[in-house]
Formats: sequence, C-alpha cells, structure tokens
Amino acid sequence: MKTKKWLMMVLSVLLIGSILAGCGSKASDSGNTASGGESGNAAESGELKGHLVIWTFFDQVKDMADQFHAKNPGVTVDVKMFPGDQYQTKLLTALQSGRDVPDIFDLERGYIGKFIDSKFLTDLSAMGAEDLVKDYIPYVQELGRSQDGKLRAISDHSSPGGFWYQRDTAKKYLGTDDPDKISDMVSSWDKIVELGKKVAADSGGKVHMIQNTGDLFDIEAYNTQPWVKDGKLNIDPKWQTIYQTQLDIRKNNVDAKLPFMSAGWGNALNDGSVVLTSMPAWAGFMVDNKDDKAKGKYGVAKTPEGFYSGGTYRGIYDKSKNKDLAYEFIKYIASEEWQQHNLEKTGNMPGNSKVYEANLDTYKSPLFGDENVLKPYYETVVKIPAAKADKYGEDIMSKWRKVAGDGVTNNRSYDDVVNNFKKEVKNAFPELNVD
Amino acid sequence: MGSKVNRSFYGYIFVAPFFIGFAVFGLMPILYTLYLSFMKWDGFSDPVYVGLANYSRLLHDSFFYQTIGNTLIIWIMSNVPQLILSVLLALVLNERFIRGKHFFRAVYFFPHIITPVTLGVIFSLMFDWQTGTINKLLMSLGIIHDPVNWFNSPWWSRIIASGVICWQYFGFNMIVFIAGLQSIPREVYEAAEVDGATKKQTALHITLPLLRPVFLFVFITSVIGGLQLFDAPLMLGDGPGNSSRTMVMYLYETAFKNFDYSYGAAVAYGIFFVVMFFTAITAKASKLKD
Repeated sequence: MKTKKWLMMVLSVLLIGSILAGCGSKASDSGNTASGGESGNAAESGELKGHLVIWTFFDQVKDMADQFHAKNPGVTVDVKMFPGDQYQTKLLTALQSGRDVPDIFDLERGYIGKFIDSKFLTDLSAMGAEDLVKDYIPYVQELGRSQDGKLRAISDHSSPGGFWYQRDTAKKYLGTDDPDKISDMVSSWDKIVELGKKVAADSGGKVHMIQNTGDLFDIEAYNTQPWVKDGKLNIDPKWQTIYQTQLDIRKNNVDAKLPFMSAGWGNALNDGSVVLTSMPAWAGFMVDNKDDKAKGKYGVAKTPEGFYSGGTYRGIYDKSKNKDLAYEFIKYIASEEWQQHNLEKTGNMPGNSKVYEANLDTYKSPLFGDENVLKPYYETVVKIPAAKADKYGEDIMSKWRKVAGDGVTNNRSYDDVVNNFKKEVKNAFPELNVD
Repeated sequence: MGSKVNRSFYGYIFVAPFFIGFAVFGLMPILYTLYLSFMKWDGFSDPVYVGLANYSRLLHDSFFYQTIGNTLIIWIMSNVPQLILSVLLALVLNERFIRGKHFFRAVYFFPHIITPVTLGVIFSLMFDWQTGTINKLLMSLGIIHDPVNWFNSPWWSRIIASGVICWQYFGFNMIVFIAGLQSIPREVYEAAEVDGATKKQTALHITLPLLRPVFLFVFITSVIGGLQLFDAPLMLGDGPGNSSRTMVMYLYETAFKNFDYSYGAAVAYGIFFVVMFFTAITAKASKLKD
C-alpha cells in the first residue's frame, strides 16, 4: 500500500513538474541572454569586449553583426530574428514587461512613430550621435528623432524610389530609353497623364503608363504636411490636387489598376505591359533574374517628386546594461565603412550622403547595365522634406489610402472622400480634433 | 482502501494539468481583458483608469454596429446554403447502394482541411479585378466585356466571403449529419418500407425529425463560429465602405493595428455579449418546439 501511495505521489509530481518546466524553461533561457554580457567598459583599452543582443525582423542584420564581430572579435552579437507582422507586438510585450529585452532593437518606418517618443529608447544625442548623422540624408536622420528633437534611433540606409522601366518598352512607347530624357518627360503628373493617354492609344489599351493611380499615395505621402498638428487633423490642401490627378489617371486609362506588390503587378514589371513602375530601390527581388536574363533590362528615372518606402531604424533599450557597447554598434552601422560594404553586397542605398557621393559615378547594378543608378535616387532623395514620425502619421495615411482609393474607383467627389475620411479618423482616434 | 467513495486528493492532481492550463491561457486573459476594458492603454504608457468610457464609446460606435450587421449577413448567407447542401449530400451519401460514396465523402471534406487564411488568399486571387481567373474566364466565355471589380461591390464582397466559408464547412457538417443519420435505427426505416412509404416520405417524416439533435448541434456551433468570423474575411479585405468587415476583424484592427488595446478589450466584450445574445436566442428557439 505504501509503495502504491509513493508511486502515485511521484507520478503526480512528475506530471505537474513537467508542465511547469514546459512553461518555465523559455523564461529562464532568455533570462540568461538578457542579463548576459559584462558591458563594454573595455572600450577605454581600445578593444571592445562583451555580448550584445539585437532583435530584428530583417535577416540582413546577421551580416551586419558578422561584420561588426569581424572588426571586434571580443564582442559576440546575438541576432534574434522574428519575421513577419508579429515582431512589433512581440517587441512591445517584452518592453512592457521589462524582461528578456534586447540591447538593440529594430523599428520599421511603418511603426517607428509609435515607439519614438516612448520611454524605451535611449537618447542617442547625449551619447554623441549627432556627429554620426551630420552627413546623413536629411529625411533619414530626422525620422529617428523624437518630438523634442533628440536622436533616438539611427538607420544605416535610405530607401529612395524611382520609376523603373524596361528599356525596350520605353523605346517603343516613349521613343527613348535614356534615363535623363525620361526623367524630363515625366517630371510632372500632367505630363504623365498626357503621355499615358498616348501610350494607351498606341497600344490599343494593352499597355499602361503606370501601374496604379494609388502609387501617388506612396510618392506624395512624404511630400505633404503631417496629418496631425497640435492634436488636430490636418489635411494638406495639396491632397485635393493629387486626388484630381488620380481621377484623371484612372479616367484616361493611364494606369493598369494593379496594386503595389500584387501578383499582377509583379507580372507587369517583368513582362513590360506597364511602362513605368514606381519602385523602392530595395525591391529588386521582384524582378525575375533567373540565369541573368534581366541583366541590363531596366533603367531608373526620377519620379515627379522624390519618395521613399520603408526603412529600418535601430535604437538602444533605455535600461540596457550594455549601452556603451550598443552605441559602438550603432556607430558602426552609421559609418561609411559599413554602408559602403552594404551597398556593394546587397545594393541597399546608404543613409550617409558621403557614401552616395563617393559612388555616384562608379556604382553599377546588374539589372541596370551601364546606368549610374545612384544618380536619380540621390538627386530626388536629398530633396525629400525632413519630417519627424509621429504616432498617427502612418495609420492616418493608410485610412486616406483606403478612403481615397475607394473614391477613385467609384469616381466620388473630393468632398465625399474627405467626409468619409474624417469619419474613419474620428472613429480610430477619438482624441483628435477632426473638424 | 475505503469501500465507499474514494476521496483521495490525488484525483485533483491528475485533473490539475487541464485546470492550470485553463487558468493560465484561458481565465487569465479573459479577466485581464476585462481589466483592460476599464483602462486607457496604448501599450507604451502605463494604463490609466477611465471607468466605463470605453463602453460608452462602444455604444456610440456606428462602425461597430455596422460590423455586427456585416457579420450577421455573411453568417446567414454562408450558413443557409451550407446547411441545405450538407443535409442533401448527407441524405444522398447515406444511401446504401451508392457507388463511390466513401470517395465523395472524403472529397467534400477536403476544403475543411485547408486553413481559412489560405482559402481567403486563393479566393482573393481568383476574384482579383485585373488578373483574377474568374474575370478571365467570364471574359473569354463572352459573358462580360469588362472585368468586374468584385471587391468594389458591397454585396459581391459579402457573397464571396460567405462563399468561402460555405465551401469550407459544408463538408464538415455533412459528416456530422451522416453520423447522425447512421445513428437512426434501421428498424424504423424497415417499418416504413413495409407500410409502403416513398423515399420522399421517409426523408421528410422519419429522417429529418430524428435528426433534430444533430441540427441543433450544428446550428449552435455555427452561431458561435459564424459570429466569430475572422481569418478568411480578413484576407479578402474590409470591402468598400467597410461592408465586409466582421466584428472580430474590427477588434483586431482596433487592438493590434491602432494599438488601442483598451478599446479593443471593450470591443471584445461587446462581441461576447452579441454572441451570447444570439446563442441564447438559438437555444431558446430550439426548446420552444418541445
């Protein structure tokens, strides 16, 4: 009887133990990494030592860590990657609980505005970071600033966009494949509409000038006033002109009505049924370049106004015990050395103007043959107004996209669009003054 | 050991795993959500107590009422054809002398295995305005001249969303009905046959009445599941003027896109009451007949 009782006891303890162990092991594991590392006080002696933890959603950060490690063998960098949309929820949960938090974490353009004024980011200005960004593209450095003007996050790249075109399609419909000439031909939306009518007529409606009238949202989003000023919704009057242009584009069959990054959009980019595709420089993976068949096939022209799409920013956790070492890492990614390497290896555009300037006449990319592709990007990207990110900007922009996009499809008046838009904004952000 | 009721406490230990799991992953979130719904919290600053503010906002939120309507419409449009289809197929495939009935049962069940997200993506590609196969097909058959912008029409968006759900679940419900049919004793049918009842008469007067408990089960689960529609419609989008946005999609957008966790929590409780309400009605209606 006694043995039976014991057996029961042991069994049940094991059962419960195994459950608790299942829940607990993760926490204790990660606890190690968070507290690990004996901070970079070796900085004075010249060689850095320690351990850094970086959270990201972007796999190229691994190369960044490798390069940094190669330069500083005493530092081990642990990159944890969480791909997909859940990254920010995961990050926010960790930051809120204060457990298992990385030393450095990445923030994407889409939601940096929500984090930038939070208590989680270290003031990099106080650590001397102003010096790191003094040669930066204006918009790139400004996005990493909180409302009080202090640097909180730094990016190692810019993400300019341009019109990509297939050279033979351009020759056929525009009469030239020279990027400078095409940039002149499409230097305003009116010109694009006029040219687009011609392209549609010449091709019997089969070929379109641009992919989607919605591309104007991407291009104009950062060339207009911020959506919120002093707690009040602010609709830049420029949007009315833009909306009218979008209606004209749709009415005159200038666009192929293909949404950005959709399957049809990708096909059109590759088969040339659309003349100009507004593309961020980083989206080259959408081109089918199997066996180098797209080598030299494309050219890049300037868009009527410069634009960028996306961007990854890196900040230091305010309660990290490794701040000094983490700052060394930030310093490295802001350096010309890394950005040059990154440009050569991945084709990601630098954030530092000096790297642009050093490569303007020399950098070539296989897809674009002999064209100096940095030129069109650089010339437009430096002109993008420097604006801070706030917690509303991206969300309100996406509401505008939705409502105005719907308006274009159904040929609604601008007033209708604005009314519907205000309703949406008021609903999502009741604290804003909408009228 | 004792001869009567064994009150050994080990029993509790053996059932503990479930209850611990439920407390941690079920009860805690439910209570925490309730707590959050009385707060104002965006995930960045500390939560501030605001009392019933979130609920009064919810009561005045026309977007929320719209999502209730959308959900009901999509639910009715997906469930009515789905139930009819699955009962008819179950009756047919339950016949003793039908060839390949096992094959068909399996085939009809297949859509249920696919995840709703995948289905949503497949349907949104099929019904794409410019490049979708449906438009291409209709155009090459000469039925339409210009491609139809399906997702620009409120009713088409809802019909497509309902279609996806109907297509996904009719096979599952069919299997449930077949199981119900097989539990009806054969003697009843034999008696009917002896009395000279036609197939139609047996179906109407024997099979359907005896299937009532199964109907009830299917109906209640479909009320609960149908009102929580989320993944497939999410992939198909909000629709024009938010006409195919369901309640749970609204919850998701509020909490995880706008980072308004506290209002999201209130929306969650709003959904809870709506689902409770309709479940109660269903349960009541099914008892009335007794």
